[in-house]
Formats: sequence, C-alpha cells, structure tokens
Amino acid sequence: MTITRRDVLLGATATALVPMAARAETADVAIGVVYPFSGANAQQGVDAQKAYETALDVINKDYDFDLPLAKGEGLPGLGGAKVRLVFADHQSDPQKGRAEAERLITQEKVSAVIGTYQSAVAVTVSQICERYQTPFVSADNSSPSLHRRGLKFYFRPAPHDEMYSTAMFDFLDAMKEKGSKIETLSLFHEDTIFGTDSGNAQAKLAGERGYKIAADIKYRANSPSLSAEVQQLKAANADVLMPSSYTTDGILLVKTMAELGYRPNAILAQDAGFSEKALYDAVGDKLEGLISRGTFSLDLAQKRPMVGKINAMFKERSGKDLNDLTSRQFIGLIILADAINRAKSTDGDKIREAMAATDISGEQTIMPWRRVKFDESGQNNNADPVLLQYVGGKFVTVYPPQAAVAEAIWPMK
Amino acid sequence: MTAETIIQSLASGLLMGLLYGLIAAGLALIFGLMDVVNFAHGEFLMIAMYATFFLFAFFALDPLLAAPLVAASLFVLGAMVYLLVVRFAMRAKANAGMVQIFSTFGLAIVMRGLAQYFFTPDYRSVTHSWLGGKTVSVAGVFLPEPQLVGALVSIAAFAALYFFIHRTDFGRALEATREDAGAVALVGIDKNRVFALGWGLGAALVGLAGAIMATFFYIYPDVGASFALIAYVTVALGGFGSVFGAFAGGIIVGLVEAATALALPPSLKSIGIYAVYLLVVFIRPRGLFGSI
Repeated sequence: MTITRRDVLLGATATALVPMAARAETADVAIGVVYPFSGANAQQGVDAQKAYETALDVINKDYDFDLPLAKGEGLPGLGGAKVRLVFADHQSDPQKGRAEAERLITQEKVSAVIGTYQSAVAVTVSQICERYQTPFVSADNSSPSLHRRGLKFYFRPAPHDEMYSTAMFDFLDAMKEKGSKIETLSLFHEDTIFGTDSGNAQAKLAGERGYKIAADIKYRANSPSLSAEVQQLKAANADVLMPSSYTTDGILLVKTMAELGYRPNAILAQDAGFSEKALYDAVGDKLEGLISRGTFSLDLAQKRPMVGKINAMFKERSGKDLNDLTSRQFIGLIILADAINRAKSTDGDKIREAMAATDISGEQTIMPWRRVKFDESGQNNNADPVLLQYVGGKFVTVYPPQAAVAEAIWPMK
Repeated sequence: MTAETIIQSLASGLLMGLLYGLIAAGLALIFGLMDVVNFAHGEFLMIAMYATFFLFAFFALDPLLAAPLVAASLFVLGAMVYLLVVRFAMRAKANAGMVQIFSTFGLAIVMRGLAQYFFTPDYRSVTHSWLGGKTVSVAGVFLPEPQLVGALVSIAAFAALYFFIHRTDFGRALEATREDAGAVALVGIDKNRVFALGWGLGAALVGLAGAIMATFFYIYPDVGASFALIAYVTVALGGFGSVFGAFAGGIIVGLVEAATALALPPSLKSIGIYAVYLLVVFIRPRGLFGSI
C-alpha cells in the first residue's frame, strides 16, 4: 500500500475533526438559575439549589422514572449533551436580579434562565430574558400579574395566586355546604408584590362569593413586631384567617397570636412561609389543623411511587422533604430541559417554540396536575392546586376530592 | 375601635419600646464615649441571639440563665472589636469619620457573611423556654412574658448603668475620657483601656437584649438589620451622647409605632417614628436629651 500525499492530508484532517465533532456533540447546555443565595431569603436559595441539582441528576444520569429525560443520559435531541447549571445570587433585590440575568445571558452564554423565588425579582429577570430572546421559566413565582405583561419568552408551569385563591374559595364553599359556619374572613398579607397580589385576589373573590371581610391587614415585611396587627385580627375575630406571609413574618405572626391570646377558628394560608420546615420547627405546636394551599403533596407517592423515590434523592442532598417550592423547582427544570431536547438546539427562538408546544400529561410529573400545556401568555392553566392540612406534624391532602386522602378537620381548634 | 384595643396596643408598644431602648443603650454608650457610630450593632444583636440559641440547643440552657453568659461573651467580642478594628480606624489622619463608618459597616457585612457560612441561613428558634409563649392577662390586656421580662431587664440595666456611670471611679473615667481624651492621659488613664471597656459594656448590653429576644423572635443571619435601624433612630431621637436619652427614645419609638398602627394601615407604622424624629430635628437637632 502506498501512502499518497492526499491520504496523509485526509487522515490529518479527519484526526483533527474527530475530537471537534465529538466535542460539538457533547457540548454542555448551560441554564442560568437565579435565586437569593444571601440575605434574608438565602435559605430558599440553598434549598432551591438542591432541588435543581436533583433534577439535573435525573436529566444527566439514567433513571427508570416515567418522567421526561429520566431514561438515558443527557439530552438525546442534542446528541446526549449534558445540562449544566450556572447559579447566580440576586439577594432578593430586583435590580441585582436584572444585572445577574444579563450577565448569565451575555457572559455565561446560558440558553435559558429559571428562577427566582420572589415575584418582584421575576419581573426584572423576565424583562431581561425577553430583551435577549432567552426563554425564562418562572418555576416558583406565583404573582398573577407576571404572565399578563405580553412577554413571549415567559413560561410558568405552576399555578398562580388567583388559581390558588380560587381553589381556596372553592374549598370554603364546599365546607359551607357541609354546614360549617363561614361568613367572615380576615386577610393578612405582606406589602411586596406577593402579598399585595394575593390580598387583592382574595378580596375580589370574597366579594364575588358573598363572604364579608372583617379585616384586611397589609403589613410591612420583616417587621420587628406584629402586636398591633395581631391586635386588629383579634378584634375582628373572623371565621377564617387567611395569611399571605413569608417564613420570618409567619413565625412572628403565630408567636404573637399565641402571646395575645388569639386563637382563630381556622387558618387558610397562602403557602410561602407556611410550607417551610423552619416555621413548623418553631411554632408547629400552635398550628395543628392549619390548612395551606400547595402545588405538591407527598401523599402522591402512594399513587405514583417515583414521587417517593425522587423525594428520597432530594432528602439525601438537603435533609428535607420536597415541599411546595422545591417540587416546583424540580419539575420546572425538567420541563425546560425537555423543551431544549425537543428543540434540538440551544437557540432561544427554537427553545421558545418547543416550550410553547409542550404537552406533558400530569402522570409524567411529580405534581398533582392534569397536564403541562402553556397558553399564549405562557401560563399552564392545567396545574391544579391542592389544599393540605397540618395534622399530627404532617401534611394531609384534603382538597380537591380527587386528590384528597382525608376529610378536613374544621374548625381547627 | 374599642378602649381595650387602644390600651392593648399601647401596652404592647411600651413593652417593645423598653426593649428597643435596651438594644439602643450600647449604641448610645459607644457613641457618647467616642463619637463612633457602630454600624455592626445589629450584628452584635444577631451574634447574641445565636449564642443564646446554641446554648439552648447544645446545653438545654434556658435563655434567662444564658443571658449573663451571653452578655459576658459579647463583652469580650465588643472589646476585641475595639482593639482589633476601631482602634486602627481612629488613627486615620483624614476623613476619620468616614473611615470609622466604613470599617464598622464592613465588619457588619463580614459578620453577617460568616454567620451565613457557619450557621446556614436557616431560621432558628428557641422552641421552649421558661418565658416563651407564656402570657399574663390583666383585665383583658395581654402582656407576653418574654417582652414583660425584657422590659424589666431593660429598666434594671438602665438603673445599673446610671449607678455605674455616676457613682464609680470607672464611670468617672469614662466621662472624663469622653470630655477630653488627651487630658486624661496626663492623669494616668489609659484611653485605649477605657474605650475597650466602653465597647465591651456596650456590646454586653445588646447581648442582654439578644438573649431575651431569642425567646420570642426568630433567629437568622440578617435578623439584626431591622432592629439596628430602629436602634439608630432611637439614639438620634433620645439624644446623642446621652445613654438615658436612649431609654426615653426607646419608649417613645415603641409608643409612636403602636399609635401609628392604630391610626394608619399597619404597613405604614414606621412612618410615625420617622415623622416624630423629623419633628425633633426641627426643634432640637441634637435629640431630646442630647448633651453634645
């Protein structure tokens, strides 16, 4: 065999190209994850990181779950490319969120962004993503105004507060039909976008469904004292207390209520602080019978064993059970990665198209939802909330009937 | 609005106000002594609350028993902060005020960061204590025991401080150093020693407040921030350089906050405090009992 000059050239070119092709095939897909990793809500960021790392594990390694991308390694649509997460700290500050989102997109070259815990930060982060035509998944923000800004690159798989509030009032109606006396409500909400939106939605629904609002108290988040506020709640003594609070204020609220001798008939909480382990560690003994809305329930593990297995994976990392926030973060990343996989591209427009075409049945998630399918505004309207009651140190699903495993205890005391 | 609501609000406000006073006492003492505003004051409070929490979690020590230990540890911390940081900041030849502000401010950020690193940002609580969750009811007015004891400790601490400053040699040395740090050196008083003890004492007072607060407040690395702001306005309102101004200032802040929450939506309750402060600035810029 004679070796010609052409053979040598071809061989050299091929040897040079092989590693390039291999590299192109397995190039990482970077996704930006924007959370508070310092400041007042740093714990939420730390927990979120664990949830995203659990999801990353499911995507990048081989698992036998009936979940998009669980089987096989990486994204088959991109030649088995692995997903890589780039974490950024927004310190609960919308302006820092804006800067971090811009940095992730322009310097870290992320293909999509996911976040952010606080709705107020999601506002700025999603604006930046829109400008750079990069899809943004609002994994755990619940303010209804977020998807009503005509953004094309905004997607929220989980319910928003109006859907939660509607479920809460459906539940109140059902309890009333069963003969419980529910006429007056006390609203108690903090003064950032989460509490304000939630309070407004509840006030509107109460009006429509004929409940009287005995007190509507907007308070300053992270107040050193809530005595004056609790005093007014006590004076109003409504049939149901409906708090929309983050963890810190939630703990102080419950402690102050006990100190001022106020025991409400029933508490129906808008999640947030009331799904946090820290709150129940601190004041759980005073909350027997509290009902909180949620998007997630570990009861689901009875019907869908993979929920229990994924919870175990998360618990190994974080020492905690999946909760309302961490479950949404987990499934948010799965849904986003699934869209990137179907887009077969890391181009923003192509991922956006694939996101818009998402149609995953509820069975293929870890959530009690009917399905994942986005409307034009990027909202998934098929994400059914659940109501959970805190009984004997655990949460039990009490509503809606198809997901319930127990009857609600009413009144709570 | 019933009379009962008003009395209850004002009673809660008074108890909280006495605690605000105790928190601000250390700040006022340090400022009065050497014209340095300690921007890490809230972080001293945070450390005190964590110390109380850890004594409770590891040794099952009740916060009331832990209080003297916490105060003593904070004394050491305060003295160290003076000797290792503030002493050097005060040597600055130009812009001494700015250097002091930035050094204590930097210290605050470092302390917060270290707390987050070592203690994690999780929210902690002292779940059961002799005082926690208990309440005394007088004619329909509820007085939570943690705040009630806090108020008593605050009054006792201020009384002890008064005695200390006016009746002891060290107190006189403190006053003399404040008036003329150069002249006291001539009579053999070591300025650095007096200042270090002043910082220790100031930190010990906030340590006392932190131990009491741990019985009813959640604990996390940023917990000092919301109380520090109130402490600054308390000192400014009560009067710069006057420890007893902080006592009066605390009570006024507590009562005004409670009264504002009765009249306006509670989310606006801090407006009352700052409105009153602005009013005081108009009439008496150095604060109600200011001596400087």
